[in-house]
Order: sequence, then C-alpha cells, then structure tokens
Amino acid sequence: MKRTALALLLLAAWAGGLAALGVFVQRHLDVDSDLRLFLPEPRTSEQRILLDAIGEGPASRLLVIALEGAPREALAATSSALVEALRSNDEFRFAANGDVGLDSLPEELLPYRYLMSVEDDTRAFDRDRLHAALELRARDLASPGGFALEPLIARDPTLLTLSLLEQWEPAQEPRRELDVWFDAAGERALLVAETRASAFDPTGQRAALAALDEAFAAARSAAEVTLTASGAGSFSVLMETRTRNAAQDLARFATIGMLLLLLVAYRRIGALVLSALPLASAAVAGLAAVGALFGSVHGITLAFGFTLIGVAQDYPLHLLSHRRPGASPESVARGLWPTLATGVASTCVAYLTFWFSGVTGLKQLACFTVTGLAVAALSSRYVLPRLMTEGSRDHGQSPLLARLWRAIASLPRLRWAAPALVLACVGAVAWAPQPFWENDLGALTPVPSELLERDRALRAELGTADTRHLLVVEAANVDGALAALEALNPELERLVAAGAIGAYDHAARYVPSAAAQTARRSQLPSGDALRAELEAAASGTAFRPAAFAPFLADVEAARTLPPLTFEQARALPGFGSRLDALVPERGSLVAALVTFSGVRDAGELAALAAPGGAATLLDVRAASESLVAAQRSHLLVSLAVGGLLLIAIVTVALRDGRRVIRVLAPLALTTLIVVAVLQLAGVSLNLFHLISLILAAGLGLDYALFFEHAAHDEAEQGRTLHAVLTCAGSTLMVFALLALADLPVLRAIGVPVAIGVVANFVLALLLTRPAVRAAR
Amino acid sequence: MSNKAPRAVATATASFAALLVAAASHATPDSDALIARLARAAPASIAFVEVRFSTLLVEPLVVGGTLVYEGDGSLTRRVETPYREESAIRGETVRVERAGEEPRTFALRRAPELRGLLTGMIGLLAGDASFIGEHFAVTTTGDDQRWRLGLAPTDDRLKQRLSEIVVAGASAEPECFVIRDSQGGASVMLLGAAAARPLPAPLALPELLAHCGAE
Repeated sequence: MKRTALALLLLAAWAGGLAALGVFVQRHLDVDSDLRLFLPEPRTSEQRILLDAIGEGPASRLLVIALEGAPREALAATSSALVEALRSNDEFRFAANGDVGLDSLPEELLPYRYLMSVEDDTRAFDRDRLHAALELRARDLASPGGFALEPLIARDPTLLTLSLLEQWEPAQEPRRELDVWFDAAGERALLVAETRASAFDPTGQRAALAALDEAFAAARSAAEVTLTASGAGSFSVLMETRTRNAAQDLARFATIGMLLLLLVAYRRIGALVLSALPLASAAVAGLAAVGALFGSVHGITLAFGFTLIGVAQDYPLHLLSHRRPGASPESVARGLWPTLATGVASTCVAYLTFWFSGVTGLKQLACFTVTGLAVAALSSRYVLPRLMTEGSRDHGQSPLLARLWRAIASLPRLRWAAPALVLACVGAVAWAPQPFWENDLGALTPVPSELLERDRALRAELGTADTRHLLVVEAANVDGALAALEALNPELERLVAAGAIGAYDHAARYVPSAAAQTARRSQLPSGDALRAELEAAASGTAFRPAAFAPFLADVEAARTLPPLTFEQARALPGFGSRLDALVPERGSLVAALVTFSGVRDAGELAALAAPGGAATLLDVRAASESLVAAQRSHLLVSLAVGGLLLIAIVTVALRDGRRVIRVLAPLALTTLIVVAVLQLAGVSLNLFHLISLILAAGLGLDYALFFEHAAHDEAEQGRTLHAVLTCAGSTLMVFALLALADLPVLRAIGVPVAIGVVANFVLALLLTRPAVRAAR
Repeated sequence: MSNKAPRAVATATASFAALLVAAASHATPDSDALIARLARAAPASIAFVEVRFSTLLVEPLVVGGTLVYEGDGSLTRRVETPYREESAIRGETVRVERAGEEPRTFALRRAPELRGLLTGMIGLLAGDASFIGEHFAVTTTGDDQRWRLGLAPTDDRLKQRLSEIVVAGASAEPECFVIRDSQGGASVMLLGAAAARPLPAPLALPELLAHCGAE
C-alpha cells in the first residue's frame, strides 16, 4: 500500500465516501420480506386471492397456540386468561379458544337473531312448538345450570341465541374440555390468534410474539404450563433469526479464513485492506442505488445480491497477483482492463436482464448487482492502482507456479472427455427420479420440516380449513355474493352427507343475504298473535306467561328491523377477520370464498363448480405452483437473453470463434456438471440453485478469460495462475462453508457454487490449454 | 289458615332458637367441629327432593332423585321423577344429559350459583372447614341436635349472583341445602329423611325452609 500523502488522502476520501453512503443506506433503506415481491404480478382474480392469502390473508396471520404440560384445569384456566389478554392487545386482531359466552352477541343486536338464524322454521312460534320449548326450559331451570340460564329464558324461551352461537362456531369443532378447545388426546389446550402484522413483516411478527410471551407469563396458572405458537409469522421470525445467526457464524469463519489465505498469497497487510475496498464499495453502492430507486430492499434480494457480487472480490486479486517489479500498478491495471472489462461487462449485461423480468424483487437484484459490479470494477481499475506500490516480487517468476503450469500443460489431451462428460451429465439428469424443478412455493422460505409437520398437526386438530381447495363465487356486490352462497347450500349439504367433504364455511353462514333476512322477517308473527300463542303454550306448564315480556318485545323489534348489513356484521366481536377472510375482495367485483375441511373427493367439488358457472374451484396448490413456474420462466427467459448478450459481448471482445468457444465451454460444462450432481443427489432445482448457478457461471467466465488472455506469455501464465488460484481458493472456502451449513437455504447456495468453482477452475485450465501447446 | 300455622310455628321456633343462642352461646356448636362431623366417606349416596322457586314461575318446580358423591370433587345428581336426567359434575365441568336430547356441557365458572353450592356441598362432604372458610363467611346457629350453617359468599363477583347458602340438619345428618340468588329465586334441596317427609302444601319458600329447619 502506498504511504504518500496523496494516496492516504485518497484512501481517506474513499473510506469517508463509503461511510457516508452507508449512513444513507441505513437511513433510507428498509428490509422487506414480503414474498410477493418475488412473484410475478397476478393476472387472474384467483392468483390475486392466492397472493393475498400468502401475505395478507388471515390464514397467514393466524398463530396456532398450544398450551401443555399441566392438568386440564390449569391449562383451561391459562387458556381463558390468555385469550382475554390477547383480545385487548393491540398486536392482535382476534383471539379465540372455543369459549363462547352467551354475552358474545351485543345486547342491542339480540333481536337480530330472528333474522340471522339459518334454522328455517315457519312454525317456530306455533303454540305447540312453544309449549314443547317451555317444557324443556322448565327442566333446564330445575337442572344444575338453571340459575345461569334463568335470565336468558325470559328473553329467548326457544334458546335461539344458543343455536345461533353454535351455527357460528367453526364448522368442525375441536374437542372441548372445560369450555375451551383441546386436542383430541385432551392434553393440549388450543387457541388461535390473528396478528395485526402480516406474515412477512418480521418486525411486526416479532412484536406480536413478544406480546404473546408477555401475556402468557401473566396468564400462566401453573409454572409447568408451556406454550408453543406456530404459524407463518412465527416461522418468518424464526427463519430470519436462524439464518442471520448461521450467516454471522459463517461470515466470522470465512473472514478469518480469507485473511489467512490472502496473507499467504500476498504476505502484506496492506494487500488485505486493498482487496476489501472494491467489494465493500460494491455492496454499499448497490444498496444505495436500490434505496434511491425502490426505497426498500427484499431480504431475498439481499441474500442473492451479496451472493452474486461475490465475483467482485476477484477484481482486486487479479491486480494484486499481476503486480510486479518494474511495472507501475497503473500499467498493470491498464493491461488487465480489456480482459477484466469483458468479464464485468458481460456479467453486468447478463444480470441486467433481471430488470426486464417484471418481478420487483428481481428488478432490485438487477439494480443492486449491476451497480455493485460496475463500482467494484471501475474502482479496481481507476482508484485502486493509485493506492498501490510497485510489487516487490513477480508471481510470474515463481518456480513453483511455473512447474505447476508445465505439469498441467503436459497432461494428456482427451478429446473425447468433454463430449463424454456432456453425455454423462445429460444421462444423470434424465435418469434422476425426482422432478427437475421444485414447484413448491414453500421451498422459497424453507422452514424445517418438523416445524411444518407440527403446524399441520395443530391446524388439523383445530379443524382449520383445508388450504388447498377453495370455491370462489363472484358477484357484483356483497349481497349478491351472499345470495349466491346461499344458493349453493343444498349442494354443499349433499356433499357433507355423502362424505365428500367434512364441512364447509362461507360468509352467508354468518350474515344471511338481505333477501333471506327479509323473508325470515316476514314470517315473524304480530305481537297480538304471538301473545295468544304464548299464553296457550304456557298453560299446563309452571311458567307465568307475563314473565316472557322481553321475548315478545324482541320479536316485535325484529319485525321492523332493516336487514343486518355485511359491514354491521363485520363490527361484531370476532366477526371482522372471519368475514374478511371469506369475502377477500369487495371492490367493483366481489369475490367470496367457500372453504372446506376434510376434503375426501375433490372431484365432487369440481363438479359443483361446473354447472351454474357462478362458482369456480380454486386449487391453491396448483395456482401457487403455476405462479412459481411463471416466475421461473420469467427468470429463464431473462437468463436466456442474458446468455445470448454475454456470448455477443465475448465474441466482440475476442473476435475469434475458437477463442470464444475456449472461454465459454468451461462455464457451459460446469453448469451442466453442477445440475447433474444436484440431480444425482436427489435435489430438485429451486430459485436459490438457479442464482448460484449464475454466480458460478460468472466466476467461470472470469477464470477462462484470464487464462485465455495469459495463454501466450509464460510469466503472465504464472501471475494468472497465482491470481486465479487465490480467487478460486477464497471463493471455494466461503461457499464450502455455506455448503456445510444446517440451513437448507445456505446449503442451496453453497453446494452449487462450491462445485462450480472447482469445475470451472479445472475446466478453464484444461480447456484453455490447447493454446499453450499451439504457442510452443 | 293451614299455611299460616306452620309459619307461625317456624317463626316461634326460630325466635326461640335465637333466644337460646343469645342466652347460652356455649351451646352453639363449633362450626369447624360440626363440619368435620358431617364428613362422608366416598362413595355416598342419598335421596333428594329439590324445589326450585323463580320469578318466572307460577308454582315451584319439584324434582326427586339420588345424589351420589364419588369423592375427589365428583358429584352426580340423578333425577328420577318426574323425568329422567343425569348431571355429572367432574372438576370444573358439568354435563347434563336428558333422554332424547343432546347432552349439554358447561363450565362451572358460567354458573357461579352452582359453583357456590358445590363448594359448600363438597366442603361439607369432605368435612373440610378451612376449604369452606376460603369462600364463605360461616355462621352457625342452633345446637348439636338441630343446627343451621349460613354460608355468605365473600367473593364480590359471587355476591352479585348468590346471596346465601344455608345448610340445616339434625345431629350428623344434613337435611337440606338452600341456595338463594340475588333475583329472588331459590332452590331448596331436601335430603334423606327430610326428602322422605311429605312436602308442605301449598308449597311456598318460607314453609319449606321451616320444613327442614333452614329458615
């Protein structure tokens, strides 16, 4: 490192600039984790519903909570205290533990029970029906629950309130012990809570989980009670923490390893500082560019982006390795620039095609990587040489490297090797039994499978709706949708009776259409008629007819009530989130859902969707798989275009077909080898693998370009071998560490790049070799 | 006339008892000792007749059957006349089953009056005076031969629903449990010998209380 005043000033300015940009990034860039930014724009209302469900839908915000480890009484008491605390907590929109009190229906809405009950019974107010009801109420009054029921009996002798509350309970109820939900074994008390923060808002989710812990600590009735919360939100918090911790550990090891390797290679502390500057500049400049253009950056963009700009670490290493006595750093940089520029330009153009993928996350990725690489390359070319001294030794004179080069040059040339390798790889890919691509959306945010299994088991216990099948009913307004849902009821009931589905749920179970409410209202008897029926009904029972004045008043009030609107119903306790989930779109077009649990015959559902045309079946898994496939085809088209542009740039730069093939063959073969190895290992390719393959190809291109460039000069060969060995060694070390990590995401990035670095290095060396012989 | 006589007798008896208590307080049994004496080894069963008074009713409801104490907080109330019904109280859950109807389950905390009664009843069956003392202020009147325990709830929430529980009996036998709610309703459960005696006619609360010495 140069120690002149000018150089130190330049270094200080560079570091200062980086720090200033860093502050800008810190202030203006938010990290986003909404998976939807990484998916294409939805085109159909089905895809819109699906995307809503992924990030914003109540199902994705729903935490399933299990309490265990203590006797039932203690669990039930904790459950009740916890649900009360969560209901009054701002982090949660809704909480339930199965406990439905008679007070769940607000006092002023009680008369609405006569419009909202689906029990269609025109004779419910006849004297003989009322008489039968009163006989039962007399027995209730004399039973142990009599004192509790007494206030309700005068107002609601047919107990319609209770059947309404039952009607509103989840279609498939979990086991109920001590009035709260338990699992089938009766060992875990179950609750659900809906967070206000969306599933992909880790900060909000973390706050919600902290609030849950705090509420639990206060509600816990016995020290042995333990709480487990499961759901998309808790997973995103967990995965973020785990990934960050694992990445930090790896980064620590990688940094130490890298420092040692660079010290061995260059034996100067100054070299370490110089080699770090371009990559640091690339990261900060890339982030600043994304911040300026987008305001926020997706977590996946960050992960992919930092992976992809890893190639910039090589730029200063080439410069350092080619430094030698008698050549100014400036002239060394100038000499390397055509080769380096070819590599950088073609890589940048390839990455730039992400911009045209139409996916926000990939646009951010293009912005980040292109800016980063350009800054790293330009700073390596124009700034770094001014900070460097002339090299004290020439790696081109190293006898060890010269011997190594000669050994490689004398290896037998196997003309059949490359075609054989291609055939073997294609064979392996064709033979591998698993699907080539991973279409599961879940694989993008990989959560350990035991957690997913536990989540599935808890949701099954709670009878939450099957997330795979949905029936979508579209109408011009909410009331039209409610009427269309009611029209489906007979068919749905038939499917339940036939065992094709376990149960169904839709918004009209909670709010009947205005027409249905008006029809029920018109059946209500007049005050005089009802009084006469009641008096006749009470004779022969122990009841005083006059005691039922509140009942007469409620029916009379119901006769003049306007139908309860959807919006009024949304304001009822616990109704808002349920209705929002069941009628997710309420714009110019209304889409309402029918959800199912215990689907045994999906074909019957499809048949239900077919005839009228009012309802369409949405297969969520198929829709999400088609989204993933669409996203990948966007990416593949971008890559194909990028690949062609890369070939074009390399061709223009090298101006010789044979040279172009020598440079591109290693990276093409390497890509094939990595894919074949992954397929043989039983791995289906996902987005992470794809991004890693792109990085590997970028590294391979640089290796091949530099080897090719050095093919005619022995001293240059030695320096290039030194440079590429250092580059490949450091990259291999970092990604081999990732490949050994526990987390699937890190492995998915580490394995392909580690294999790719080795294959690229070996192939670039071997395939550029013919030029060595030709030169002799 | 016929309903006034027993009332007069009852009033007279009560006044006399009160006088006795006032005059010779040492004759009043110690409540702890009395409660301890009332303990029953599980399982124990006893015939009962329960009379339910409510402002909704023209005349009280009367049911009869068997009460079975299974120990450990478990109690079964089996109604045999005039219809069949079985209520099982297990810990905090009550399950009511009637022929031809869906069984109904509810938690005790939804029925504070019942919880109050059960606490008193189970405390007595277990002979556990300190358990009762946690939930009620206990007053004892009468003597060892004819005694009356008044249990007034100490919990504010319970007080809003339940005004008092009275247990009356002779020597070591409880004869009736009375719940009085704050709305003017009441339930009188006659046990054993008291259940076997014919009910006063016409059936009114004061006469019934006098019938088992719980006025």
